[in-house]
Amino acid sequence: MDIVLRCEDLTRRFGDRVAVDRLSLTIAAGETYGLLGPNGAGKTTTIRMVCGLLRRDSGSVHVGDLEVTERALAAKARIGYVPQDVALYPDLTARENMEFIGRLYRLHGKTLRGRVDEVLALVDLSDRGHDRVESFSGGMRRRLNIAAGLLHRPTLLVLDEPTVGVDPQSRHAILESVRSLGASGMAILYTTHYIEEADRVCDRVGIIDHGKLIAEGTRRELVSRLEEHDRIELAASGNLDAFVTASRAIEGVDGATVSDHHVQLLARDGRRLLAPVLEAAEHNGAIVNSVELIEPDLEAVFLHLTGTALRE
Amino acid sequence: MSAVLVIAAKDLRQRFRDRSAIVLGFVAPLVIAALMSFAFRGTERFHISVGIVDRDHGAVATAFSDFMRSPDLKDVVTVRTFDDETSASAHVHSGAVAAAVVLPAGFSAAATTGSGVSHIDVLTNTDSALGAEVTRSLVASFVNQVNADRISVATAIAAGAPVSQLARLSADASKLRVPETVVNLPIGSKPLKAVSYYAPSMAIFFLLFAVGFTSRSFFSEVNDGMIDRIAAAPVRASSLLFGKALSVLAYGIASLATVLVVTSVFFGAEWGNPVSVAALSLAMVIAVVALTALVIALARTDRQAEGLSSIVVFGLALLGGNFVSISAAPPLMRRLALFTPNGWALRGFVDLTTGARGAGVVVQPVVAMLTFATVVGVGATLLSRRLIVR
Repeated sequence: MDIVLRCEDLTRRFGDRVAVDRLSLTIAAGETYGLLGPNGAGKTTTIRMVCGLLRRDSGSVHVGDLEVTERALAAKARIGYVPQDVALYPDLTARENMEFIGRLYRLHGKTLRGRVDEVLALVDLSDRGHDRVESFSGGMRRRLNIAAGLLHRPTLLVLDEPTVGVDPQSRHAILESVRSLGASGMAILYTTHYIEEADRVCDRVGIIDHGKLIAEGTRRELVSRLEEHDRIELAASGNLDAFVTASRAIEGVDGATVSDHHVQLLARDGRRLLAPVLEAAEHNGAIVNSVELIEPDLEAVFLHLTGTALRE
Repeated sequence: MSAVLVIAAKDLRQRFRDRSAIVLGFVAPLVIAALMSFAFRGTERFHISVGIVDRDHGAVATAFSDFMRSPDLKDVVTVRTFDDETSASAHVHSGAVAAAVVLPAGFSAAATTGSGVSHIDVLTNTDSALGAEVTRSLVASFVNQVNADRISVATAIAAGAPVSQLARLSADASKLRVPETVVNLPIGSKPLKAVSYYAPSMAIFFLLFAVGFTSRSFFSEVNDGMIDRIAAAPVRASSLLFGKALSVLAYGIASLATVLVVTSVFFGAEWGNPVSVAALSLAMVIAVVALTALVIALARTDRQAEGLSSIVVFGLALLGGNFVSISAAPPLMRRLALFTPNGWALRGFVDLTTGARGAGVVVQPVVAMLTFATVVGVGATLLSRRLIVR
């Protein structure tokens, strides 16, 4: 597994306040890592240190084999930075903005023009390339903001809350773009305070609060820390009593109830148990009409770890 | 294309799309220079009217009137006579004459015998300070001559010349002139045309506005996250700063060159030797670049940048003589002008347009402006170390 980003013991203080406290994380190629935390948790400070925009007090940041401070220019060439606020010149056209940013990454001539066409198409703005950014809607600006971070085909894409203040349609488009970029092999560091976004696009999530990374892992790994159960709810008919009795015998099922054609199972790692449960239904004469797996979510994890809800 | 050129080209593209930058850099200096040169047209040749009230009617008083009407002064002074002080005072007050000279009764007798009243009054108006000063100088010159004559006669008598020859001695002495005199040798030989002063003056004044809109646009980029976006790219902080500086330099040179060409072709301004003009212009623009860097380094917000740049623009313009020729300012102001790059630039441009020759005419202002730029630039660099990566 190629590690694209490695942060070790990253620390930054502002006066007496420790904004980021000995934060360590790694992101592999093709992995989307979500840094989840409330406003002021230290997400943006972390990102700014990763991108070489903020000095760190201690620790190290490597992009591939390049240390960000020691080999700043080479490391920055591998990073695509998408700031939280739209960072584009409103009095320039979309294409002029892209060409300017592309040239900063030493793209020229045909290559530059090709990349500009490519990213404009990716964010569905090909037909607006010659319009000034000031004429764009908020969602279009957000999409162009992301496009600017992709021009030089970075190995690491850093997105700082890219969907804040975006309409649902544009938000959907942005999240789909992030997913496809991750699938293409790009390593992505994605900060957000929206749990559903982290849930939707991130392979792993780090929960940050008061500058500390207090937990990280896949969604399931994080949720499993709670030792809470999934619920498997089945709408079924037939011999439900036999089905329930058989279900209770499955390893990992800690409870089963039936009422009015609805069977509810309490299970540890419910996703893994779906197959044996359905098998038990078939063997015991129960006909399953629908299945719903309800898992404990990251909101519960955050609440469990910090004692506060994420949106507070 | 290097990052410096990329950033400079982008800045210039934005600058030339910004109407206010076009107006301030190209239209306003031309319009104001034209208006001011039109307003001051005809003032290049100095001429005043001076009143004389002769209550003495003696030989010395007549000699004074003759002196004021002499061929040497006919291009500078027109004499009007008044019967009394009241009438003369009214004319001074109204501005009809720049000043009036009152020769009191007994003045000639006192001058020749050394007894009685021997002073000359000069009536002046504060609205005509320069005319009053010139009149006072002319009177002082005449009085010096009279005093020299008196000393000559007194010395002759003390040496044994008969007192009966007093009249002849006095007449002979009056024909002599004080041997040691101060002679003005102007560096330039041509009169300074109003348009030749106000063209560079207004070009420089409006060039100073580049400090304001460049520093404001920098903080606008900081607020919009563009400086972060640039800093996140593989671009050195120095490239960002040099790119910004280069755009100001190009804008400044374009602005000055436009004013130079238009005022020369359409308004008859004389700028002088093109190479020297180019050297002065370049040094002035470099000073503006340094000032811009200082404002950016000192300010923390666009509002602070706006306030600071306003102080810089109007402070330098006032001290440097962009509004009123520094030659007409008090000595303190003339000394303060030497601390301003625009003061030195104007000094250089005035010397060039009046035909002054010699390397010092350009070298001294250029060295002074570059020294100013270096000091300011180094200060700005030290202050701006934390500007890009905090």
